[in-house]
Amino acid sequence: MSATIRNPNAGRLAAVILLVLPLAVYTLLYLVPIGSMISLSIDNGELGRSLQHFSTSDASDPDARAAALLADMQEMNGRQQAESARALNQEMPGFRSLFINTARKAGEVSPDMNGLIGFDERWADPRYWKILDNNAGTLTSRHFRRATGLDFDEHGKLGAYGDDIYLQVMMRTLVIAVQVTLVTLVIGYPLAYAVANGSRGFANFVLVSILLSFWTSILVRTTAWVILLQTSGLVNTTLMALGIIDEPLQLIFNRFGTIVSMTHVLLPFAIIPMMNVMLTIPKSQADASRVLGAGPVETFIRIYFPQTLRGVMVGGSTVSILALGFYITPALTGGPGDQMLSYYIAEFIKKSLNWGMASALSVMLLATVLVLVGAAGALNWAASRKRETA
Amino acid sequence: MKAIQILFTCAAITCAAGTASARDVTIAGWGGNYQDAQREAYFNVFAQKTGLKPIETTYLGGLAEIKAMADTGNVTWDFVIAGGNELQLGCDEGLFEKLDWQAIGTDGLLPEAVQPCGSGNVVIGNGFAYNTEAFPQAPQDWKDFFDREKFPGKRGARNTPVMNLEFALLGDGVAPDKLYEVLGTPEGVDRAFAQWDKIKDLLQYWESGSQPVEWLATNNVALSTTYNGRIIMAKREGKPLEFVWKNHLVNMDVWAVIANSPYKQYATEFFKTINDPANQAKFSSLMPYGPSNTKAAALLPPDIQKDLPTGDNIKDAAFMSDAFWVDHMDELTERWNRWSTQ
Repeated sequence: MSATIRNPNAGRLAAVILLVLPLAVYTLLYLVPIGSMISLSIDNGELGRSLQHFSTSDASDPDARAAALLADMQEMNGRQQAESARALNQEMPGFRSLFINTARKAGEVSPDMNGLIGFDERWADPRYWKILDNNAGTLTSRHFRRATGLDFDEHGKLGAYGDDIYLQVMMRTLVIAVQVTLVTLVIGYPLAYAVANGSRGFANFVLVSILLSFWTSILVRTTAWVILLQTSGLVNTTLMALGIIDEPLQLIFNRFGTIVSMTHVLLPFAIIPMMNVMLTIPKSQADASRVLGAGPVETFIRIYFPQTLRGVMVGGSTVSILALGFYITPALTGGPGDQMLSYYIAEFIKKSLNWGMASALSVMLLATVLVLVGAAGALNWAASRKRETA
Repeated sequence: MKAIQILFTCAAITCAAGTASARDVTIAGWGGNYQDAQREAYFNVFAQKTGLKPIETTYLGGLAEIKAMADTGNVTWDFVIAGGNELQLGCDEGLFEKLDWQAIGTDGLLPEAVQPCGSGNVVIGNGFAYNTEAFPQAPQDWKDFFDREKFPGKRGARNTPVMNLEFALLGDGVAPDKLYEVLGTPEGVDRAFAQWDKIKDLLQYWESGSQPVEWLATNNVALSTTYNGRIIMAKREGKPLEFVWKNHLVNMDVWAVIANSPYKQYATEFFKTINDPANQAKFSSLMPYGPSNTKAAALLPPDIQKDLPTGDNIKDAAFMSDAFWVDHMDELTERWNRWSTQ
């Protein structure tokens, strides 16, 4: 009794903490991988930790630098040598073999510049030393420089000197996401309308068809499109049999195939929110509008459509954000000009073992999604303010 | 009966999940009839000799899984067949065990097959193929592959610079033994890309090795780069395909032991099994890739030998350089990706 008087909210506080706990754990489990991804994109790995002598050596004395480098090489074990060499090779092709061959014989090379050049004349090239200078730290901007195409010139000034292929791929990813979103909305809107306003039997039929495809594996649906759209596929043979075309059309391994298959995969994500909003609109509104003298077209444009925009917004943003991360569908139905950023992320993880670069590209993709979500949020906020003031 | 089976399965799963060493020896291969042939020629023999019960899984290239095993200490594979440049990278970084060649023995093996962390086992011919019904006159060499007037139609190729740049230089008249000398210079790389420019609009990229066979058989493409084994197997099934044995590029798939595998004490037995001439001959008769043991050739009938990238066919072949690609992979892949998407 006295406890309740002292702190009447104690029980409630405990309840709130207990209720929030799963959310806190979930957020932590969600944020930790993202944090490690971000740290991996700027971590210089073994290379940064291994060049201890070199990073403290006198930069104006070539012999001291050579000796420091050789001392570092001798202190590394085989795995560290190889990982450092692989990182250096990302800056300049051929550095891997130069570094690893020198490192293996580091004890036999005389510890000065002439000794190194005598071992391999490539050490006389100042570019190799410049790269070592840039990488003698625990953090590196290497991956982000490569991802964005920004690079340092010989005076250390940052500018767009590099290859901007990944920015182009990012742009392409955005363009495909927008294309797919538009097509999905154009196809999805009438379907959602049919479910919300059609007869019960018809609505059920449409809904079950949508859900059936929703529950089928993405891989199966994508492969089905390959079979349908290929040169000797069902679509081409039918069109040819009907005499509409003389020779098969290229329907797959290009942008068309990518958009068609991605639209199919993402359609339910657009239809379901639009349908939910449409179901809340009373049918009597249309009757009222007609009674007041508006035709069916005007009723739709002025009364019905504006009320469904919220559903279109939710469906459209869901589809575009999901589309940004697509990987397997464009990989199977697109050409090389239709591969999205995830494809290159996977390449770096699986093939070139460059997880830093994969992380940098992932950070780029994540940042784009955050900007888009922010923009959509700002738009929404502005729209609701306008409505309030109106 | 069913209930007992389920009970046993559950028990087996629990055991397998218990400790790492309690799992069965695990072999990772490339899948398909390639792995079927290896099972028959090698895995079953290895199982019989050691009393182990190997389980198999599929390896899809790259070092990502293997690096993850080394980093986390959760080693789930024991033996894996990898490509040459992956082996070299992984060996340097300690992802594979070093082999005890004195115990295994190198008798009869090609010198290229004996490597610090791996044993070259399968000699693969990389070239191009065509549908015999597509052209009145058969294409003869790489010049024909890049000749769009003489051989019109789409070309299948893998979306990677590896081997493709070599093919382009061969098509531009570079001698097989001068390939990497030329490719090592910026002018040589430009020359290779200029050669691909000639047929760029005709290209259709394949990802998996089964695609060129399907595409050629259905006249989806006129010519395609491919592995000799896939085409010969399709030919044996009656498909009208032919592989061009002229300046093909030879590479070797290599068996290796994952670092810290709990079954590494069986490695010597495993490598003895896969290097045995009789076993290799059996593999080559099931799957038309070449043996790495020169003694295996004598055990093969001539009608099998004529389809292999070794023997008579190897005379004007070029050897793919793993060392070149380990150094230049990043740079040239990026350039290829840029080129192919523009």
